[in-house]
Amino acid sequence: MQQHTDIIDKAAMALSGGLMLLGIVGLGIVEVLAGQPYGAAPLTNDAGEIIATPMVDPTIRTGLVLAGLVVLLVYGLYRLATPVEEADAATGHETMAD
Amino acid sequence: MSYQAANPLADEFELELGGAWTAYWLAFLRVVTGWWFFHAGVTKLIENGLAYGYGPAYLQQMTGTALGPLPVWMGANLGWLIEAMVPLGETLIGLGLMVGALVRLASVFGAFFMALFWVGNAGFGHGVVNGDFMGLLLFVTMIVLATGRYYGLDAIIEKTRFVQRHPRLKYLLG
Repeated sequence: MQQHTDIIDKAAMALSGGLMLLGIVGLGIVEVLAGQPYGAAPLTNDAGEIIATPMVDPTIRTGLVLAGLVVLLVYGLYRLATPVEEADAATGHETMAD
Repeated sequence: MSYQAANPLADEFELELGGAWTAYWLAFLRVVTGWWFFHAGVTKLIENGLAYGYGPAYLQQMTGTALGPLPVWMGANLGWLIEAMVPLGETLIGLGLMVGALVRLASVFGAFFMALFWVGNAGFGHGVVNGDFMGLLLFVTMIVLATGRYYGLDAIIEKTRFVQRHPRLKYLLG
């Protein structure tokens, strides 16, 4: 198991979190500020005609989230492929004072 | 049990089992998520066996998505596999989560399924965060928190000599 975060862990967390938050929240704010539709699907009238389309293509937003998930998957495969560190550092040895 | 207030995740890549409620809730979430997929899979098996024809058809209509040509290609060329693996995969993923065995591995496949559903259903009328995406997040949560260790068989499996000799397996268990 992992005892501490190294540069790979931090990079995976920052990149995956950044990509997913950009796709969900960042571009979501842009979509809201751009006016209707506030969601990520075209707005239609009662006749079913499209009267407004999202400013940001949902393909881009879902793509960013999927990219973040792929980062996590690659990170998981990397962890699976690298040797597991000894657990000594994690056991929290109690050191007696001299 | 050690506890570090500054970083409770320092010891392992999982939540420290700080109390009974944490274990209870993570196990509950895991079983409910498992039942969700098991129910979806086993009812397809009952009705269509290993020939779930809607699977390939569903993938082939996924044009112009963030997944590019991948789902359409899968639907067109791996139809026989999709027909069998959708009901079987959902059932096995659900079973794994319910009993808490190979939870991380099962959840990777669960997240893959949900990514296809999320993008394919494209129910984005109220934004990109919808029920499908929440399901996807549930599976990722199962992986990150290793929920199979809470009242699950993975807690027992991880103590076996075989897993102790091959600790890397904990990335698939847990």
